[in-house]
Amino acid sequence: MRKWMGIFTAVLALLLAVSTAQAGKLEDIKARGKLVAGIKDSQQPFGFVDEKSKEIVGFEIDIVKYIADQLGVKLELKPVTSSTRIPLLTQGEVDIVAATMTHNKERESQVDFSNTYFMTGQRLLVKKDGGIKSAKDLAGKKVGSAKGSTSEQNMKKAEPNCTVVSFETYPEAFLALKQGKVEAVTTDEAILVGIKYSDDHPEDWDIVGDYISAEPYGLGVVQNDSKFRNYVNQTLIRMWETGEYQKVYNKWFGKDTKNYIPLVWKMDLWP
Amino acid sequence: MAYTFDWKLVLSGEYGDWIVQGLTITLKISALAIFFSLVLGTLIAVLRLTRIKPLVWFSAAFTEFFRNTPLLVQIFFWYFGSYSILPEFVNKWLYRQDFEFAAGVIALTVYTSAFIAEDIRSGIFAIPKTQIEASRATGLSFLQSMRFVILPQAFRIIIPPLISQFLNVVKNSSLVMTIGVMDLTYMTRQIESYTFHGFEAFTVATLIYLAISLVVSLSVNIYNKRVLKLIPY
Repeated sequence: MRKWMGIFTAVLALLLAVSTAQAGKLEDIKARGKLVAGIKDSQQPFGFVDEKSKEIVGFEIDIVKYIADQLGVKLELKPVTSSTRIPLLTQGEVDIVAATMTHNKERESQVDFSNTYFMTGQRLLVKKDGGIKSAKDLAGKKVGSAKGSTSEQNMKKAEPNCTVVSFETYPEAFLALKQGKVEAVTTDEAILVGIKYSDDHPEDWDIVGDYISAEPYGLGVVQNDSKFRNYVNQTLIRMWETGEYQKVYNKWFGKDTKNYIPLVWKMDLWP
Repeated sequence: MAYTFDWKLVLSGEYGDWIVQGLTITLKISALAIFFSLVLGTLIAVLRLTRIKPLVWFSAAFTEFFRNTPLLVQIFFWYFGSYSILPEFVNKWLYRQDFEFAAGVIALTVYTSAFIAEDIRSGIFAIPKTQIEASRATGLSFLQSMRFVILPQAFRIIIPPLISQFLNVVKNSSLVMTIGVMDLTYMTRQIESYTFHGFEAFTVATLIYLAISLVVSLSVNIYNKRVLKLIPY
């Protein structure tokens, strides 16, 4: 009898050890007590440093804060750039990426995406009355963008005869636009709106052109962890159904804010 | 998902072309920067040794300033900072050219020339004082004695540190990608973001930089052995 109890306990212990070894991101985060989120820190209004409080705030910060609250853990913010967000996620430095990352087929081979949490499209930011009205006007001219973004590739497809100058961040690309080094800055419209209204004279800049591409933003998570991804998706749906998403959206993109973009898009929900 | 290596992807086809284009730009920038920094470095070193105090101060200030500030900061200064200093029409004309490339070459040249100036100065100090006394005694002016007697000897002495500076130029040229110059490092990162096969891309870039460095140091050493050391002085 004692022998069987001993063997039974050993097998049970082994099973437990094996199951914890295969524990996914969800268990890791709960055990750690904090969610490490990769966010932008110079991208109004998605993730930027608040002038007064000197903290990183923004639309995406509020979204990951909601997820952390639902998990019952603390939130730790880790600034990333367009080119570092995927490597940091795949290496495990961050658990989730909320950094204006477009969900596209190429990136699917590297990371998994949550449902779309924001919808926008790629357009052009130009000097008012500079004569640029669409992508075709940029033939033979220079266009600024950020490294590692989908905007570089799409711009080349839309107008093969332009030169795309890629900077590390969007503020640098905008500085180049202000100094006349490039004729336009191209990226997602929501980011352009943030850039335009972060300037001292927003009326000097226009957002023009047809949508060069559709840009659905998704939260990035590590591949092959359905449990965590499902949890994130369900949290997003709960956020929409309880009205919390709309509240957060209006806080950053509502009528009273600088970056007014009406909420015409509806999140993918399932019952 | 296991990482599958795909060397063909980065060595041929469209991405292989990018690497070749990036390599061309890197070689161009490095060659221009090496040449101009040698010229400028020699000038600064000689200025430091004249008896005209303002020139000495200028040379010392130049050397200290450009040696002690990070190259990346200097690159940004020449590219973004110059806008506020130069007049409007100069800016407009500059931006119609390939200003990113020019700013990169200028920053790299000025930065390296400060280091080369110090190397040349130490080479000059390594030459016995009797050389300059003798050359002045034979009637050569300061500049003539520098050009015909002192500098040739100094350059032969400082070949090893000079090679180091040339290799630094080649490696530092990778920083110009931050202002949008499409050099080898820029192209490597581009390939990484398009294909996600960063390992292959970075390995190829590393080997190429290594090859360039080896060629540079080998050719300078051969030049030294076959040409400079055989000049009967």
